[in-house]
Amino acid sequence: MSGVTVATKPVGLWQRMGQRRTRNYLIAFLFILPALINFTVFRYLPILAAMQASLWQYSLLGGFGDFVGLQHYVNMLDDPLFWKSLQVTGTFVILKVPIQIVLSLALAILLQGEKWVAGFVRSAIFTPVVTSIMVISILWSMMYHSQLGLINSMLSGFGISRQAFLSDPNRALPAVTLMMIWKDMGFSMIILMAGLKGIPDTYYEAAIVDGANRWQAFWHITLPLLQRVLMFVVVTQTIFSFQVFVPVYTMTRGGPIDATKVIVYYIYQYGFLFQDMGYASALSMVTLALLLVVSVIQMRLFRTEVEY
Amino acid sequence: MGTTSETLVRERRPLAIDRRVTPHLVMKGMGKLVEYLLYAIISLVFLIPFVWMMLGSLRNETEIFQYLYPFGWRTVVPVEWTLKNFLDILGLSPEGKAFGLNFQRYLFNSAFVSFGVVCCSLIFNTLGAYFFARLDFPRKDLLLIFVIATMLVPFEATMVPLYIVIRTLNLHDSYWALIVPWYASPFVIFSLMQFFKEIPKELDEAAIIDGASYLGVLRHVIVPNALLEFQFIWNLFYWPLIAIGKKELQVIQVAIQMQTTQTQIYWGRTFAGAVLASLPVIILFLALQRFYIKGVVMTGLKG
Repeated sequence: MSGVTVATKPVGLWQRMGQRRTRNYLIAFLFILPALINFTVFRYLPILAAMQASLWQYSLLGGFGDFVGLQHYVNMLDDPLFWKSLQVTGTFVILKVPIQIVLSLALAILLQGEKWVAGFVRSAIFTPVVTSIMVISILWSMMYHSQLGLINSMLSGFGISRQAFLSDPNRALPAVTLMMIWKDMGFSMIILMAGLKGIPDTYYEAAIVDGANRWQAFWHITLPLLQRVLMFVVVTQTIFSFQVFVPVYTMTRGGPIDATKVIVYYIYQYGFLFQDMGYASALSMVTLALLLVVSVIQMRLFRTEVEY
Repeated sequence: MGTTSETLVRERRPLAIDRRVTPHLVMKGMGKLVEYLLYAIISLVFLIPFVWMMLGSLRNETEIFQYLYPFGWRTVVPVEWTLKNFLDILGLSPEGKAFGLNFQRYLFNSAFVSFGVVCCSLIFNTLGAYFFARLDFPRKDLLLIFVIATMLVPFEATMVPLYIVIRTLNLHDSYWALIVPWYASPFVIFSLMQFFKEIPKELDEAAIIDGASYLGVLRHVIVPNALLEFQFIWNLFYWPLIAIGKKELQVIQVAIQMQTTQTQIYWGRTFAGAVLASLPVIILFLALQRFYIKGVVMTGLKG
């Protein structure tokens, strides 16, 4: 508002302006209101609900029982299966994420070209990404089948005898991990490829003029300049992988002898099979806190000053 | 990076040498061979499970196991082609009816819910993005933080808490439970908002838009996001598993899982179910690949 207008018609205009502005704000607020309601009720409220439920005896059938305070959290410390599930989840993430990122970076570099063959291979790698995790889990549990599976059939072609995969406590987790790497590789590959495209060609040209070979160019140009994208992929993949559920639910039910009992499956078990929503909520809260801590640490670790 | 350094190296080599068969040329030929071999192996690793699934769904139950050992092309390719597995699970054959199989219903539920979410999310996310990009409001920045922070809420780890909320609202066991939690998405709002910001405001104030810029929004933002959203909802398993108890409201992903927990598992029918549950999104992806990849990169890099 320029001072001049205000001075000529002081009272009337200010009132009208005020009203019109309020009305505009009101209309504007209607635009964002549905989304705000959604996020409040379905994103933030569940966390508050879990916080509340974790302090009570609570089951879906019986409803709220006694107030137990922090008892669920104390019990958790003495719960060997909780620690086991954390260990299994951690092993899964530490096995999966680095292998997946290294392989997908290699594939991203290999398949960068415009040739149709490269495009075809890219589509092939991306097909598991769009396919539901349920279909993939069912397919792979059939492929891993100790008698009727495709993998054993193929191994027999090399003269290798039939193997048990999912029913062997030492192999079940690596088998699930392998499948998840296979499924998620295309996703990280596409993101890394977009990152590679963002690196200006002039950098490589300069390096070659200076006599650098491809390996040196990779270490001194590609990797440092890709750091931000790499960080993004590592953080998101860690958070996704930490919450793995469907393959465990479908392929192993947490077994054999808890070898694949990941934390989200353990939460599901408590809430829906053991009917103890209170303890399940406490477990959810701890998982949320852990995920937050892990992602903050990772962002710190990978923080980079390189800009281009 | 490969292409740039490669072309540069090639340019610096005198052409005359390349015409003769030199060790260098042989190496180069070998390199090409290795490259294509690598392509073939990678494609096979990623496609064989799908080929096995699709061809397996088109053969008789006994035939699937008959040719397992020794491994050969008959292990994968049917001798006798049949649609029986599909007729069974869709409840179109007498046996399917006897088993009470009704995948038509589950397919309908999945499609209905996915389309529902995509439509709602198009409306509400566009409104939300327009608010952030164009409308006046005090402390819009705080609201934006409120929206973006929801991206940090982990997904699978909050399914049980979300169920507590939906149950309290008495929405469980209904289509509402499958649609309502997803009608707005922070990722879509954010990417749409950035796109609205790129279109100069004067254009729509002067009302001289020839449709080009909004068509651009449609092509570059809405189609990719709608595709991702559709795939996301179609593929959901954990949420419908816990939110829906009624069999007739169940979605295809849960239905195919239920098939594998029965006392006798029919592999042919399981394959057929997996085909029905995955083919729609695979076809959508192959047909609209460009938009799809754009969507992934957009939500991936900007979000």
